[in-house]
Amino acid sequence: MFLQQLINGIVIGSVYALTAMGATLVYGIMRILDINNAGAYALGAYVGLLTYNTTGSLLLTFIVGMLLTGLYGVLVQKLLYVPMLDKSPNVSLIASIGLFIFLSDLIRMVAGPSIKGFHAEVPFSSIYTDSLNINGAWILIIVTTFLLLAVLWFLLNKTKIGLAWKATAQDLETAKAMGVNVNMMVALNYLLGYGFAAAAGIMVGILYSSVFPTMGDVPAYKMLAIIVLGGLGSPVGTVIAAMVIGLAETLIGGYIGFFLPRDAIAFVVLIIILLFRPRGLISKN
Amino acid sequence: MLKLDGINVFYDQSQALYDVSLQVEQGEFVSIIGANGAGKTTIMKTVMGLIKPAQGRIFFEGKDIIKRPSWDRAGMRIGYIPEGRRVFPDLSVEDNLLMGAYHSKNNVEIAKTMKEVYDVFTRLGERKNQLAKTMSGGEQQMLAIGRALMTKPKLLLIDEISMGLMPLLVNKAFSVIKEMNNQGITILMVEQNAKKALAVADRGCVLEMGQIVHQDLAENLQDNDSIRKAYLGG
Ligand SMILES: Nc1ncnc2c1ncn2[C@@H]1O[C@H](COP(=O)(O)OP(=O)(O)OP(=O)(O)O)[C@@H](O)[C@H]1O
Ligand SMILES: [Mg+2]
Repeated sequence: MFLQQLINGIVIGSVYALTAMGATLVYGIMRILDINNAGAYALGAYVGLLTYNTTGSLLLTFIVGMLLTGLYGVLVQKLLYVPMLDKSPNVSLIASIGLFIFLSDLIRMVAGPSIKGFHAEVPFSSIYTDSLNINGAWILIIVTTFLLLAVLWFLLNKTKIGLAWKATAQDLETAKAMGVNVNMMVALNYLLGYGFAAAAGIMVGILYSSVFPTMGDVPAYKMLAIIVLGGLGSPVGTVIAAMVIGLAETLIGGYIGFFLPRDAIAFVVLIIILLFRPRGLISKN
Repeated sequence: MLKLDGINVFYDQSQALYDVSLQVEQGEFVSIIGANGAGKTTIMKTVMGLIKPAQGRIFFEGKDIIKRPSWDRAGMRIGYIPEGRRVFPDLSVEDNLLMGAYHSKNNVEIAKTMKEVYDVFTRLGERKNQLAKTMSGGEQQMLAIGRALMTKPKLLLIDEISMGLMPLLVNKAFSVIKEMNNQGITILMVEQNAKKALAVADRGCVLEMGQIVHQDLAENLQDNDSIRKAYLGG
Protein backbone atom coordinates (compact mmCIF):
# COMPACT_ATOMS: atom_id res chain seq x y z
CA MET A 1 0.00 0.00 0.00
CA PHE A 2 2.69 2.49 0.97
CA LEU A 3 4.88 1.56 -1.98
CA GLN A 4 1.89 1.91 -4.23
CA GLN A 5 1.18 5.42 -2.97
CA LEU A 6 4.83 6.30 -3.18
CA ILE A 7 5.06 5.33 -6.84
CA ASN A 8 1.80 7.08 -7.52
CA GLY A 9 3.18 10.24 -5.91
CA ILE A 10 6.38 10.09 -7.94
CA VAL A 11 4.37 9.76 -11.15
CA ILE A 12 2.31 12.82 -10.29
CA GLY A 13 5.39 14.68 -9.11
CA SER A 14 7.13 13.90 -12.41
CA VAL A 15 4.33 15.47 -14.40
CA TYR A 16 4.37 18.53 -12.17
CA ALA A 17 8.14 18.84 -12.46
CA LEU A 18 8.05 18.79 -16.24
CA THR A 19 5.19 21.25 -16.37
CA ALA A 20 6.75 23.71 -13.95
CA MET A 21 10.31 23.50 -15.26
CA GLY A 22 9.67 25.85 -18.17
CA ALA A 23 8.19 28.48 -15.88
CA THR A 24 11.19 28.11 -13.57
CA LEU A 25 13.72 28.50 -16.38
CA VAL A 26 11.90 31.56 -17.66
CA TYR A 27 11.67 33.10 -14.21
CA GLY A 28 15.33 32.35 -13.64
CA ILE A 29 16.44 34.58 -16.47
CA MET A 30 13.63 37.02 -17.14
CA ARG A 31 12.10 37.36 -13.64
CA ILE A 32 8.60 37.02 -15.03
CA LEU A 33 5.90 34.47 -14.30
CA ASP A 34 4.68 32.77 -17.43
CA ILE A 35 1.29 31.15 -16.84
CA ASN A 36 1.05 30.30 -20.50
CA ASN A 37 3.60 27.58 -19.81
CA ALA A 38 0.56 25.52 -18.78
CA GLY A 39 -0.99 26.38 -22.13
CA ALA A 40 1.97 24.61 -23.68
CA TYR A 41 0.92 21.55 -21.69
CA ALA A 42 -2.51 21.47 -23.35
CA LEU A 43 -1.20 22.45 -26.78
CA GLY A 44 1.44 19.74 -26.59
CA ALA A 45 -1.17 17.13 -25.69
CA TYR A 46 -3.28 18.04 -28.73
CA VAL A 47 -0.37 18.18 -31.13
CA GLY A 48 0.78 14.86 -29.68
CA LEU A 49 -2.64 13.30 -30.14
CA LEU A 50 -2.83 14.50 -33.73
CA THR A 51 0.63 13.12 -34.43
CA TYR A 52 -0.20 9.82 -32.80
CA ASN A 53 -3.42 9.42 -34.74
CA THR A 54 -1.69 10.13 -38.05
CA THR A 55 1.57 8.24 -37.52
CA GLY A 56 0.87 5.72 -34.77
CA SER A 57 4.39 6.27 -33.48
CA LEU A 58 4.85 7.22 -29.85
CA LEU A 59 8.38 8.47 -30.45
CA LEU A 60 7.18 10.80 -33.21
CA THR A 61 4.35 11.90 -30.93
CA PHE A 62 6.88 13.15 -28.40
CA ILE A 63 9.25 14.64 -30.93
CA VAL A 64 6.64 16.52 -32.94
CA GLY A 65 4.60 17.54 -29.89
CA MET A 66 7.61 18.87 -28.01
CA LEU A 67 9.22 20.51 -31.02
CA LEU A 68 6.14 22.34 -32.31
CA THR A 69 5.14 23.46 -28.84
CA GLY A 70 8.71 24.56 -28.16
CA LEU A 71 8.71 26.60 -31.36
CA TYR A 72 5.41 28.14 -30.32
CA GLY A 73 7.22 29.17 -27.13
CA VAL A 74 10.06 30.73 -29.10
CA LEU A 75 7.50 32.63 -31.15
CA VAL A 76 5.53 34.06 -28.22
CA GLN A 77 8.65 35.13 -26.37
CA LYS A 78 9.87 37.00 -29.46
CA LEU A 79 6.56 38.65 -30.23
CA LEU A 80 5.18 39.12 -26.75
CA TYR A 81 7.46 38.72 -23.78
CA VAL A 82 10.74 40.24 -24.93
CA PRO A 83 9.08 43.50 -26.06
CA MET A 84 7.51 43.73 -22.59
CA LEU A 85 10.71 43.16 -20.64
CA ASP A 86 11.29 46.80 -19.81
CA LYS A 87 7.77 47.11 -18.37
CA SER A 88 6.79 45.99 -14.89
CA PRO A 89 6.74 42.19 -14.48
CA ASN A 90 3.00 42.39 -13.82
CA VAL A 91 2.48 43.36 -17.43
CA SER A 92 3.92 40.14 -18.75
CA LEU A 93 2.20 38.12 -16.01
CA ILE A 94 -1.17 39.44 -17.12
CA ALA A 95 -0.26 39.01 -20.78
CA SER A 96 0.65 35.40 -20.10
CA ILE A 97 -2.71 34.78 -18.41
CA GLY A 98 -4.43 36.34 -21.40
CA LEU A 99 -2.44 34.22 -23.79
CA PHE A 100 -3.21 31.12 -21.76
CA ILE A 101 -6.96 31.76 -21.94
CA PHE A 102 -6.71 32.62 -25.61
CA LEU A 103 -4.85 29.41 -26.33
CA SER A 104 -7.30 27.13 -24.57
CA ASP A 105 -10.18 28.83 -26.39
CA LEU A 106 -8.34 28.50 -29.66
CA ILE A 107 -7.92 24.79 -28.98
CA ARG A 108 -11.63 24.57 -28.20
CA MET A 109 -12.55 26.30 -31.46
CA VAL A 110 -10.22 24.22 -33.60
CA ALA A 111 -10.52 20.80 -31.97
CA GLY A 112 -13.96 21.10 -30.42
CA PRO A 113 -15.04 21.48 -26.79
CA SER A 114 -15.53 17.80 -25.98
CA ILE A 115 -13.09 15.35 -24.48
CA LYS A 116 -11.06 13.49 -27.08
CA GLY A 117 -9.78 9.99 -26.55
CA PHE A 118 -5.99 9.43 -26.53
CA HIS A 119 -5.47 5.69 -26.72
CA ALA A 120 -1.80 5.11 -27.20
CA GLU A 121 0.06 1.88 -26.99
CA VAL A 122 2.77 2.22 -24.37
CA PRO A 123 6.03 0.28 -24.78
CA PHE A 124 5.95 -0.80 -21.14
CA SER A 125 3.69 -3.53 -19.87
CA SER A 126 1.79 -3.02 -16.68
CA ILE A 127 2.90 -4.79 -13.53
CA TYR A 128 0.23 -6.34 -11.38
CA THR A 129 0.96 -8.18 -8.14
CA ASP A 130 -1.12 -8.67 -5.01
CA SER A 131 0.02 -5.49 -3.40
CA LEU A 132 1.29 -3.50 -6.35
CA ASN A 133 -0.46 -2.19 -9.38
CA ILE A 134 1.76 -0.31 -11.81
CA ASN A 135 0.31 0.95 -15.02
CA GLY A 136 2.53 0.90 -18.14
CA ALA A 137 1.81 4.62 -18.63
CA TRP A 138 3.27 5.29 -15.18
CA ILE A 139 6.51 3.67 -16.19
CA LEU A 140 6.50 5.74 -19.36
CA ILE A 141 6.08 8.90 -17.29
CA ILE A 142 8.83 8.08 -14.83
CA VAL A 143 11.30 6.99 -17.48
CA THR A 144 10.63 9.93 -19.81
CA THR A 145 10.79 12.46 -16.99
CA PHE A 146 14.02 10.99 -15.75
CA LEU A 147 15.54 11.16 -19.23
CA LEU A 148 14.43 14.74 -19.88
CA LEU A 149 15.61 15.96 -16.49
CA ALA A 150 18.92 14.19 -16.99
CA VAL A 151 19.37 15.98 -20.31
CA LEU A 152 18.54 19.29 -18.65
CA TRP A 153 20.92 18.61 -15.78
CA PHE A 154 23.70 17.81 -18.19
CA LEU A 155 23.00 20.90 -20.23
CA LEU A 156 22.98 23.19 -17.20
CA ASN A 157 25.94 21.73 -15.35
CA LYS A 158 28.29 20.28 -17.92
CA THR A 159 28.15 22.59 -20.91
CA LYS A 160 29.16 26.12 -21.78
CA ILE A 161 25.55 26.99 -22.54
CA GLY A 162 24.61 25.90 -19.04
CA LEU A 163 27.33 28.08 -17.54
CA ALA A 164 26.06 31.01 -19.57
CA TRP A 165 22.50 30.24 -18.46
CA LYS A 166 23.51 30.40 -14.81
CA ALA A 167 25.53 33.56 -15.32
CA THR A 168 22.62 35.20 -17.10
CA ALA A 169 20.23 34.19 -14.33
CA GLN A 170 22.54 35.76 -11.76
CA ASP A 171 23.35 39.00 -13.59
CA LEU A 172 21.82 39.50 -16.99
CA GLU A 173 23.56 42.77 -17.78
CA THR A 174 27.04 41.54 -16.93
CA ALA A 175 26.46 38.28 -18.79
CA LYS A 176 25.65 40.32 -21.88
CA ALA A 177 28.84 42.31 -21.48
CA MET A 178 30.79 39.04 -21.21
CA GLY A 179 29.53 37.98 -24.60
CA VAL A 180 26.43 35.94 -23.83
CA ASN A 181 23.75 36.29 -26.46
CA VAL A 182 20.92 36.59 -23.98
CA ASN A 183 18.27 36.64 -26.70
CA MET A 184 19.38 33.16 -27.63
CA MET A 185 19.36 32.08 -23.99
CA VAL A 186 15.78 33.26 -23.60
CA ALA A 187 14.72 31.53 -26.82
CA LEU A 188 16.37 28.32 -25.67
CA ASN A 189 14.56 28.64 -22.37
CA TYR A 190 11.22 28.70 -24.12
CA LEU A 191 12.11 25.93 -26.54
CA LEU A 192 13.04 23.63 -23.65
CA GLY A 193 10.43 24.82 -21.18
CA TYR A 194 7.45 24.61 -23.52
CA GLY A 195 8.80 21.35 -24.89
CA PHE A 196 8.93 19.86 -21.40
CA ALA A 197 5.39 21.04 -20.64
CA ALA A 198 4.26 19.47 -23.92
CA ALA A 199 5.80 16.15 -22.90
CA ALA A 200 3.92 16.33 -19.61
CA GLY A 201 0.65 17.08 -21.41
CA ILE A 202 1.16 14.19 -23.82
CA MET A 203 1.86 11.75 -21.00
CA VAL A 204 -1.10 12.84 -18.92
CA GLY A 205 -3.24 12.54 -22.04
CA ILE A 206 -2.02 8.98 -22.48
CA LEU A 207 -2.40 8.19 -18.77
CA TYR A 208 -6.05 9.23 -18.68
CA SER A 209 -6.63 8.27 -22.32
CA SER A 210 -8.07 11.69 -22.99
CA VAL A 211 -7.38 15.34 -23.70
CA PHE A 212 -9.62 18.38 -23.38
CA PRO A 213 -9.22 22.12 -24.02
CA THR A 214 -9.08 23.20 -20.38
CA MET A 215 -6.71 20.44 -19.28
CA GLY A 216 -4.05 23.07 -18.53
CA ASP A 217 -6.14 24.87 -15.90
CA VAL A 218 -5.25 22.79 -12.87
CA PRO A 219 -1.55 22.48 -13.83
CA ALA A 220 -1.47 26.28 -14.29
CA TYR A 221 -2.10 27.06 -10.66
CA LYS A 222 -0.26 24.07 -9.27
CA MET A 223 2.74 25.07 -11.32
CA LEU A 224 2.65 28.41 -9.52
CA ALA A 225 2.67 26.72 -6.12
CA ILE A 226 5.56 24.52 -7.19
CA ILE A 227 7.84 27.20 -8.56
CA VAL A 228 7.28 29.36 -5.49
CA LEU A 229 7.95 26.39 -3.24
CA GLY A 230 11.03 25.52 -5.28
CA GLY A 231 12.55 28.90 -4.52
CA LEU A 232 11.64 30.75 -7.76
CA GLY A 233 14.11 30.12 -10.52
CA SER A 234 15.88 27.07 -9.14
CA PRO A 235 15.58 23.99 -11.40
CA VAL A 236 16.63 21.60 -8.63
CA GLY A 237 14.21 23.25 -6.22
CA THR A 238 11.44 22.81 -8.75
CA VAL A 239 11.98 19.07 -9.02
CA ILE A 240 12.06 18.70 -5.25
CA ALA A 241 8.97 20.85 -4.80
CA ALA A 242 7.11 18.94 -7.51
CA MET A 243 7.90 15.65 -5.79
CA VAL A 244 6.89 17.03 -2.40
CA ILE A 245 3.54 18.18 -3.77
CA GLY A 246 2.99 14.97 -5.74
CA LEU A 247 3.74 12.81 -2.71
CA ALA A 248 1.72 15.00 -0.38
CA GLU A 249 -1.28 14.70 -2.63
CA THR A 250 -1.18 10.93 -2.84
CA LEU A 251 -0.07 10.21 0.70
CA ILE A 252 -2.34 12.69 2.43
CA GLY A 253 -5.17 11.86 0.05
CA GLY A 254 -4.57 8.11 0.31
CA TYR A 255 -3.97 7.68 4.00
CA ILE A 256 -5.52 10.45 5.95
CA GLY A 257 -8.27 11.27 3.57
CA PHE A 258 -8.87 14.94 3.33
CA PHE A 259 -11.77 17.20 3.90
CA LEU A 260 -10.68 19.40 1.03
CA PRO A 261 -10.50 18.44 -2.63
CA ARG A 262 -7.24 16.80 -3.60
CA ASP A 263 -6.19 19.74 -5.75
CA ALA A 264 -6.21 21.97 -2.67
CA ILE A 265 -3.51 19.92 -0.96
CA ALA A 266 -0.78 21.57 -3.01
CA PHE A 267 -1.72 24.92 -1.56
CA VAL A 268 -2.05 23.71 1.99
CA VAL A 269 1.47 22.29 1.66
CA LEU A 270 2.64 25.53 0.10
CA ILE A 271 1.27 27.60 2.96
CA ILE A 272 2.69 25.33 5.64
CA ILE A 273 6.17 25.18 4.09
CA LEU A 274 6.32 28.90 3.39
CA LEU A 275 5.50 29.55 7.04
CA PHE A 276 8.74 27.84 7.96
CA ARG A 277 10.83 28.60 4.91
CA PRO A 278 9.58 31.88 3.48
CA ARG A 279 11.95 31.73 0.52
CA GLY A 280 10.98 28.25 -0.53
CA LEU A 281 12.65 24.89 -0.13
CA ILE A 282 15.82 25.88 -1.93
CA SER A 283 16.77 29.48 -1.47
CA LYS A 284 19.72 31.38 -2.76
CA ASN A 285 20.35 33.57 0.24
CA MET B 1 40.80 52.49 -31.87
CA LEU B 2 37.69 53.84 -30.13
CA LYS B 3 35.78 56.92 -31.13
CA LEU B 4 32.62 58.35 -29.60
CA ASP B 5 30.92 60.92 -31.74
CA GLY B 6 28.19 63.20 -30.38
CA ILE B 7 26.72 60.79 -27.85
CA ASN B 8 23.51 61.85 -26.11
CA VAL B 9 22.01 59.54 -23.51
CA PHE B 10 18.72 59.89 -21.69
CA TYR B 11 17.26 58.01 -18.75
CA ASP B 12 13.55 58.44 -19.32
CA GLN B 13 13.26 62.23 -19.52
CA SER B 14 16.50 63.27 -17.88
CA GLN B 15 19.61 63.61 -19.95
CA ALA B 16 22.78 61.98 -18.60
CA LEU B 17 25.26 62.64 -21.43
CA TYR B 18 25.42 65.75 -23.60
CA ASP B 19 27.12 65.47 -26.94
CA VAL B 20 30.06 63.44 -25.66
CA SER B 21 32.83 62.97 -28.19
CA LEU B 22 36.16 61.41 -27.45
CA GLN B 23 38.79 59.33 -29.06
CA VAL B 24 41.17 56.71 -27.74
CA GLU B 25 44.14 55.72 -29.86
CA GLN B 26 45.62 52.27 -30.14
CA GLY B 27 47.73 51.52 -27.06
CA GLU B 28 46.66 54.64 -25.23
CA PHE B 29 45.59 54.87 -21.60
CA VAL B 30 42.81 57.41 -21.16
CA SER B 31 41.21 58.31 -17.84
CA ILE B 32 37.89 60.06 -17.43
CA ILE B 33 37.52 61.80 -14.11
CA GLY B 34 34.37 63.30 -12.68
CA ALA B 35 32.26 63.65 -9.56
CA ASN B 36 29.44 61.37 -8.44
CA GLY B 37 26.64 61.38 -10.98
CA ALA B 38 28.72 63.06 -13.68
CA GLY B 39 27.90 60.27 -16.11
CA LYS B 40 31.05 58.16 -16.00
CA THR B 41 29.31 54.80 -15.68
CA THR B 42 26.86 55.86 -18.37
CA ILE B 43 29.74 56.35 -20.82
CA MET B 44 31.13 52.90 -20.04
CA LYS B 45 27.77 51.20 -20.45
CA THR B 46 27.15 53.02 -23.68
CA VAL B 47 30.45 51.84 -25.12
CA MET B 48 29.66 48.31 -23.96
CA GLY B 49 26.23 48.46 -25.58
CA LEU B 50 24.29 48.13 -22.33
CA ILE B 51 22.64 51.52 -22.87
CA LYS B 52 21.39 52.81 -26.19
CA PRO B 53 22.22 56.43 -26.86
CA ALA B 54 19.51 58.62 -28.36
CA GLN B 55 22.04 60.13 -30.76
CA GLY B 56 25.62 59.63 -31.68
CA ARG B 57 27.90 57.01 -33.09
CA ILE B 58 30.58 54.72 -31.75
CA PHE B 59 33.45 53.43 -33.82
CA PHE B 60 35.67 50.56 -32.78
CA GLU B 61 38.65 49.81 -35.01
CA GLY B 62 37.01 51.92 -37.66
CA LYS B 63 33.70 50.05 -37.64
CA ASP B 64 30.46 51.67 -36.54
CA ILE B 65 29.29 49.40 -33.70
CA ILE B 66 26.30 51.41 -32.50
CA LYS B 67 23.83 48.77 -33.71
CA ARG B 68 25.83 45.82 -32.46
CA PRO B 69 24.56 44.12 -29.29
CA SER B 70 26.80 43.91 -26.22
CA TRP B 71 27.70 40.29 -26.85
CA ASP B 72 29.08 41.14 -30.28
CA ARG B 73 31.15 43.90 -28.75
CA ALA B 74 32.56 41.46 -26.21
CA GLY B 75 33.38 39.16 -29.10
CA MET B 76 35.30 42.00 -30.76
CA ARG B 77 37.41 41.85 -27.61
CA ILE B 78 36.21 44.82 -25.70
CA GLY B 79 36.83 43.88 -22.08
CA TYR B 80 34.84 45.33 -19.20
CA ILE B 81 35.40 45.73 -15.49
CA PRO B 82 32.03 47.00 -14.32
CA GLU B 83 31.35 49.35 -11.46
CA GLY B 84 30.85 47.42 -8.24
CA ARG B 85 32.68 44.31 -9.55
CA ARG B 86 29.58 42.45 -10.63
CA VAL B 87 31.15 39.01 -10.35
CA PHE B 88 28.62 36.19 -10.74
CA PRO B 89 27.86 35.48 -7.08
CA ASP B 90 26.80 31.83 -7.31
CA LEU B 91 29.48 30.74 -9.77
CA SER B 92 32.87 29.51 -8.65
CA VAL B 93 35.95 31.65 -9.16
CA GLU B 94 37.00 29.48 -12.06
CA ASP B 95 33.59 29.65 -13.73
CA ASN B 96 33.64 33.42 -13.35
CA LEU B 97 36.95 33.50 -15.16
CA LEU B 98 35.60 31.21 -17.86
CA MET B 99 32.75 33.65 -18.42
CA GLY B 100 35.33 36.30 -19.26
CA ALA B 101 36.50 34.10 -22.12
CA TYR B 102 33.00 33.16 -23.18
CA HIS B 103 33.40 34.40 -26.75
CA SER B 104 36.53 32.32 -27.32
CA LYS B 105 36.46 28.80 -28.69
CA ASN B 106 40.18 28.32 -28.31
CA ASN B 107 40.45 26.11 -25.23
CA VAL B 108 44.23 26.05 -25.34
CA GLU B 109 44.38 29.82 -25.23
CA ILE B 110 41.76 29.92 -22.46
CA ALA B 111 43.76 27.52 -20.29
CA LYS B 112 46.93 29.48 -20.91
CA THR B 113 45.32 32.81 -20.04
CA MET B 114 43.78 31.31 -16.93
CA LYS B 115 47.19 30.21 -15.78
CA GLU B 116 48.49 33.72 -16.33
CA VAL B 117 45.64 35.12 -14.26
CA TYR B 118 46.38 32.69 -11.45
CA ASP B 119 50.03 33.73 -11.62
CA VAL B 120 49.13 37.39 -11.20
CA PHE B 121 46.48 36.76 -8.53
CA THR B 122 47.66 33.71 -6.61
CA ARG B 123 44.73 34.19 -4.27
CA LEU B 124 42.30 33.35 -7.08
CA GLY B 125 44.16 30.16 -7.85
CA GLU B 126 44.01 29.06 -4.24
CA ARG B 127 40.27 29.59 -4.22
CA LYS B 128 39.25 28.58 -7.68
CA ASN B 129 36.42 26.33 -6.51
CA GLN B 130 35.00 28.80 -4.04
CA LEU B 131 31.76 30.63 -4.85
CA ALA B 132 32.47 34.23 -5.80
CA LYS B 133 29.98 35.58 -3.27
CA THR B 134 31.98 34.11 -0.40
CA MET B 135 35.10 36.08 -1.37
CA SER B 136 36.04 39.35 0.29
CA GLY B 137 35.38 42.60 -1.53
CA GLY B 138 39.02 42.97 -2.48
CA GLU B 139 39.21 39.41 -3.76
CA GLN B 140 36.09 39.99 -5.79
CA GLN B 141 37.69 43.02 -7.39
CA MET B 142 40.72 40.89 -8.26
CA LEU B 143 38.32 38.39 -9.76
CA ALA B 144 36.64 41.08 -11.83
CA ILE B 145 40.06 42.16 -13.12
CA GLY B 146 41.04 38.55 -13.78
CA ARG B 147 37.80 37.97 -15.65
CA ALA B 148 38.56 40.94 -17.88
CA LEU B 149 42.07 39.58 -18.49
CA MET B 150 40.44 36.35 -19.66
CA THR B 151 38.70 38.33 -22.40
CA LYS B 152 42.12 39.01 -23.95
CA PRO B 153 40.85 42.49 -24.63
CA LYS B 154 42.11 44.85 -27.28
CA LEU B 155 40.27 47.61 -25.47
CA LEU B 156 39.57 47.44 -21.75
CA LEU B 157 36.86 49.52 -20.09
CA ILE B 158 37.39 50.04 -16.38
CA ASP B 159 34.77 51.56 -14.09
CA GLU B 160 36.05 52.70 -10.67
CA ILE B 161 38.53 49.98 -10.00
CA SER B 162 39.57 51.62 -6.72
CA MET B 163 36.12 51.68 -5.18
CA GLY B 164 36.04 50.06 -1.75
CA LEU B 165 39.63 48.83 -1.86
CA MET B 166 42.23 49.48 0.78
CA PRO B 167 45.22 51.54 -0.42
CA LEU B 168 47.52 48.55 -0.79
CA LEU B 169 45.04 46.84 -3.10
CA VAL B 170 44.38 50.04 -5.01
CA ASN B 171 48.06 50.20 -5.83
CA LYS B 172 48.13 46.55 -6.84
CA ALA B 173 45.08 47.01 -9.07
CA PHE B 174 46.56 50.07 -10.75
CA SER B 175 49.89 48.38 -11.30
CA VAL B 176 48.18 45.38 -12.90
CA ILE B 177 46.26 47.52 -15.36
CA LYS B 178 49.29 49.67 -16.08
CA GLU B 179 51.13 46.47 -16.90
CA MET B 180 48.29 45.41 -19.22
CA ASN B 181 48.59 48.76 -20.94
CA ASN B 182 52.34 48.28 -21.31
CA GLN B 183 51.62 45.00 -23.04
CA GLY B 184 49.62 46.85 -25.64
CA ILE B 185 46.06 46.80 -24.33
CA THR B 186 44.24 50.06 -24.92
CA ILE B 187 42.53 51.32 -21.77
CA LEU B 188 39.63 53.63 -21.10
CA MET B 189 39.14 54.09 -17.38
CA VAL B 190 36.74 56.16 -15.31
CA GLU B 191 37.72 57.05 -11.78
CA GLN B 192 36.80 59.26 -8.91
CA ASN B 193 40.30 58.90 -7.53
CA ALA B 194 41.55 61.56 -9.94
CA LYS B 195 45.07 61.74 -8.61
CA LYS B 196 45.81 58.09 -9.22
CA ALA B 197 43.84 58.01 -12.45
CA LEU B 198 45.85 60.82 -13.98
CA ALA B 199 49.13 59.45 -12.66
CA VAL B 200 48.82 56.26 -14.70
CA ALA B 201 47.09 57.67 -17.79
CA ASP B 202 48.46 59.19 -20.97
CA ARG B 203 45.49 61.45 -21.42
CA GLY B 204 42.59 62.58 -19.28
CA CYS B 205 39.06 63.88 -19.77
CA VAL B 206 37.06 65.78 -17.21
CA LEU B 207 33.37 65.04 -17.17
CA GLU B 208 30.97 67.46 -15.49
CA MET B 209 27.21 67.00 -15.50
CA GLY B 210 27.33 64.78 -18.55
CA GLN B 211 29.63 67.01 -20.56
CA ILE B 212 33.30 66.70 -21.30
CA VAL B 213 34.74 70.04 -20.20
CA HIS B 214 38.48 69.33 -20.54
CA GLN B 215 40.57 66.96 -22.56
CA ASP B 216 44.34 67.06 -22.36
CA LEU B 217 47.51 65.14 -21.67
CA ALA B 218 47.39 63.74 -18.17
CA GLU B 219 50.35 65.78 -16.94
CA ASN B 220 48.82 69.01 -18.24
CA LEU B 221 45.61 68.25 -16.36
CA GLN B 222 47.63 67.54 -13.22
CA ASP B 223 49.20 70.98 -13.55
CA ASN B 224 45.95 72.79 -14.33
CA ASP B 225 44.99 74.96 -11.36
CA SER B 226 41.22 74.70 -11.60
CA ILE B 227 41.39 70.94 -11.98
CA ARG B 228 43.79 70.66 -9.08
CA LYS B 229 41.32 72.58 -6.94
CA ALA B 230 38.27 70.65 -8.00
CA TYR B 231 39.62 67.11 -8.29
CA LEU B 232 43.09 66.78 -6.85
CA GLY B 233 42.58 68.39 -3.49
CA GLY B 234 44.38 71.68 -4.18
N1 LIG C 1 19.16 53.59 -14.46
C1 LIG C 1 19.06 54.93 -14.29
N2 LIG C 1 17.85 55.53 -14.33
C2 LIG C 1 17.75 56.87 -14.18
N3 LIG C 1 18.79 57.69 -14.01
C3 LIG C 1 20.01 57.15 -13.97
C4 LIG C 1 20.21 55.74 -14.12
N4 LIG C 1 21.54 55.49 -14.04
C5 LIG C 1 22.13 56.68 -13.85
N5 LIG C 1 21.22 57.68 -13.82
C6 LIG C 1 21.52 59.10 -13.64
O1 LIG C 1 22.43 59.52 -14.64
C7 LIG C 1 23.42 60.36 -14.11
C8 LIG C 1 24.81 59.78 -14.38
O2 LIG C 1 24.94 58.55 -13.65
P1 LIG C 1 26.25 57.66 -13.71
O3 LIG C 1 25.98 56.42 -12.98
O4 LIG C 1 26.69 57.56 -15.12
O5 LIG C 1 27.26 58.57 -12.90
P2 LIG C 1 28.73 58.25 -12.41
O6 LIG C 1 29.57 59.35 -12.91
O7 LIG C 1 29.12 56.88 -12.78
O8 LIG C 1 28.58 58.38 -10.84
P3 LIG C 1 29.35 57.60 -9.65
O9 LIG C 1 30.67 58.26 -9.48
O10 LIG C 1 28.48 57.80 -8.47
O11 LIG C 1 29.45 56.18 -10.05
C9 LIG C 1 23.09 60.52 -12.65
O12 LIG C 1 22.39 61.74 -12.48
C10 LIG C 1 22.20 59.36 -12.33
O13 LIG C 1 21.28 59.69 -11.34
MG1 LIG D 1 29.63 55.26 -11.75
